[in-house]
Amino acid sequence: MEKTNVSSQKTALRIALVAVLTAVVVVFTLMVRVPTPLKGYISLCDVVIYFAAYLFGPWAAAIAGGLGTGLADLLGGYAQWAPLSFIIHGAQGLLVALIARAPISAGVRGDAPFIRMVMGGLLGVIVMAGGYYIAGGFLYGFEPALVEVPLNLLQAGVGMVLGIIVSKTVQKAYPPVRSLYW
Amino acid sequence: MTTNTFIAGKGFLYRFDPRAKLLLLVLLCAFVFLPVSMPGLWLVVAVVFLTTWSSTGFKQALHPLRSILPLLIIMVVFIPLTHRDSEVVLSISGFPLVTTGALENFNLLAARFIGITYMCTLFFWTTPMGDIMLTLRWYGLSHKAALVLTLAFRFIPFIADAFQMIQDSHSMREPNLGEKDRRRQPLADVVPTVTSALVFALKSIPQLAMSLEHRGFGRAGARSAYRRLAPRKGLFTHFFFSVMIPASLWLVFNTLG
Amino acid sequence: MKDVLKLQKVSFSYREYNVPPVRKMVLENLNLTLVEGSKTLILAPPDSGKSTLSRLICGMVPKYLEGDLSGTCLMDGVEITSRQPWDLVESCVLVGQNPQEQLLMTTCEDELAFPLESLGMPAERMSRVVRNSLRKWKLLDFASISPQEMSGGERKRLLLAFLDTVPAPLWILDEPFDDLDSQWRETLMQRITDHNGTVLVLASRYIDEFRGSFDHYGILSEGAITIGDEQDIVIEYEQLCDREYTSVESCTEEHCGKALSCSNVSFLHPRKSVKDNAPFTLEVPSFTLRSEEIVSLVGPNGSGKSTFSRVLCGLDPPRAGEFLLDDQAVSRRDLSRTVGYLFQNPDYEIFLPSVREELAWSLSGDRSRTAAQKTALVAECAKLFHLELDATPSTMSYGKRKQLQAAVHYLLDRPFYILDELDSGITYATAFEMISLLRSRGAGILLITHDRSFSDRLSQRSYTISNGTVLEREGQV
Repeated sequence: MEKTNVSSQKTALRIALVAVLTAVVVVFTLMVRVPTPLKGYISLCDVVIYFAAYLFGPWAAAIAGGLGTGLADLLGGYAQWAPLSFIIHGAQGLLVALIARAPISAGVRGDAPFIRMVMGGLLGVIVMAGGYYIAGGFLYGFEPALVEVPLNLLQAGVGMVLGIIVSKTVQKAYPPVRSLYW
Repeated sequence: MTTNTFIAGKGFLYRFDPRAKLLLLVLLCAFVFLPVSMPGLWLVVAVVFLTTWSSTGFKQALHPLRSILPLLIIMVVFIPLTHRDSEVVLSISGFPLVTTGALENFNLLAARFIGITYMCTLFFWTTPMGDIMLTLRWYGLSHKAALVLTLAFRFIPFIADAFQMIQDSHSMREPNLGEKDRRRQPLADVVPTVTSALVFALKSIPQLAMSLEHRGFGRAGARSAYRRLAPRKGLFTHFFFSVMIPASLWLVFNTLG
Repeated sequence: MKDVLKLQKVSFSYREYNVPPVRKMVLENLNLTLVEGSKTLILAPPDSGKSTLSRLICGMVPKYLEGDLSGTCLMDGVEITSRQPWDLVESCVLVGQNPQEQLLMTTCEDELAFPLESLGMPAERMSRVVRNSLRKWKLLDFASISPQEMSGGERKRLLLAFLDTVPAPLWILDEPFDDLDSQWRETLMQRITDHNGTVLVLASRYIDEFRGSFDHYGILSEGAITIGDEQDIVIEYEQLCDREYTSVESCTEEHCGKALSCSNVSFLHPRKSVKDNAPFTLEVPSFTLRSEEIVSLVGPNGSGKSTFSRVLCGLDPPRAGEFLLDDQAVSRRDLSRTVGYLFQNPDYEIFLPSVREELAWSLSGDRSRTAAQKTALVAECAKLFHLELDATPSTMSYGKRKQLQAAVHYLLDRPFYILDELDSGITYATAFEMISLLRSRGAGILLITHDRSFSDRLSQRSYTISNGTVLEREGQV
């Protein structure tokens, strides 16, 4: 029998975790969407990104958030937005998790402290709304891009609040979630 | 929920090697941000639109335009508020409504945005998802990353179905006929549904990991590949065109000295 | 003859997350030896630990589902827990009970190719092997189709095609005969007999095809396996699981004398398989469900049973026609509050973190009862359905989740219920008990099933679906 290190033992679980979270982001983006004039729609995708960030850490949140929203844009017929969503929501997930889970060393199961969840969450709201504002500014002008800032703030804000609630309820409803780790 | 972006059609784009096509897409997207003359830019946009028309039909080709139409309208609405200091074209009772600067700005941004929208859409309409994956692999995407993408595609319809059922079953918990309706509590209604869907998805993670390892994922030896991009004659020619098209467009239409 | 698999004094319990932990042994002092080339059938009631056992053999438990394992598990003389699942690819192949848990890829051919890619098989040979297996299980037409679009039976065949794809001598088959029609059952039985390796079949129902086909027969119950003579094992197993349905005579309460009916209703059924191109229309010339009745709707997978149920309980609109409750037209919204629909998968109906909250939620719209009355009602209901109030639904066994689902609907107290494939995954005895509780207040029940023997035991009338029409079956008992 060959020796396998810890990291290679975790690989399958990591891949499974990220793939499933990505799929959930896509489903939440496409199935719960309210049409808006500009970027097309606002959706519940941020709930899953925050959820992933609070429970599974930066990498899982960044990949699932970026890939999931990017794929959703492709499938929903907004291909031009896919690379931007990938970067913006990826950065959002990464930063939220970095701040919220900073005291928890990597790869550990556990709950992030509430105050850090809020701090990271607010930064995430700013990154998301700001990111789309800048991207929109270059694509179709900074003044029109202002219109969607409140909508994005709303979407990310609702996402953060629900994300915090859901990260608690899921741990209660499905305790083995703690055995899933990055 | 469909996970397909490919639309069957005809034309050279369907025969174009996906690797070269991806390069062409990236270069063309870069081209529209370079300083080029406006007629040149609009010509490129028109050619891309006509290609879409001839590949997938006129009705289909209008779809992307319809999806960005509200945005274009908002851009028009904002014209009076931009570049207020340049030469006035139209004014109402002394209030400058439209300036040349604002018009030029709108012209440029609209052409860019329509162009990028059509280029990206056209790439995904004319390239099957499997080929896109192999193309990304060819450009160096790791096997693990490609596997994440494939697994995500496999799980999207599965989770979408479950989410639909969970919403349905939630809607069936209303009180009986004759009893008073429960007060609507948006948050209290959303949280259980979202939680239930997340738990459903999380439960499939260990099973997925088990199945991956049961199918030999993690073995030390090198993996072989079942699929490869069909070896194509003239791959070099395809790449040659991918570089030459944007390069010559730039040479013809650039506005630098 | 050498032993391919030797399990000695194996005990296993899942990690318990509740505080205080209640340890439940899944396997307890289990012994099992499989001699090279032998064919073994183990009969096991639902939730008796057969999936745990099969995953244990393949090295996936306790690695992925945490728990305490003791005893020795040897495969080819080597301790299984000392090896990784991926090392066992060439030793054993598992066909799981639920194909959805094992499928990975977006087309059937990629699915079959995945383990061969892991083994590093050259592309040309791989392509031959994959096409060969697809041909054997009549799946060639599905080669580039996504398994997600296929029917349950087709997915099962895809999973069985791994037996011909992966070169492993030991086959572990968990409920492999589920979802297969009689022709494929025979094919599978033949494949098991012809296999020159070792086969372990775990099943919860004894079917005719098994008669005389195996070398060893056994029962898995209370965490341990007893091996014996076929005749004895079958009789003992029947005593263990089967119980006759005892009808409950009641109707003292409000749900009596109601009738739900419709005539000339039609609705659109999404295509049942990728091979049919378009959705087709299902017609219901006449359908009635009265209080206290048990009526069954029998038909093969994909014939439109579930689609009809969704229309009947108001989830989907019919294309033409309407439903009548006591000869009065009912709106879709009222229909959804008159007919309770128990989805086949109970997980779609679990929303809250404990049994107590889940049950209490059913009563939240009820203003006629005080809080104390509601608490008492919830406690009483949990007792009726053998549930613990503080248990976490998502980690309960399948049978328990099914009982929780029934309890939720029991508290909702609808005059009619649709039970979708209630009998799959639980014993007849449990199913019978759930049905008698649900109709103890006079509710009318529509059983949706593809198991004719189950429906014949219970139902007073029966409908079938043939050629896109729902018809009442003549000559009923």
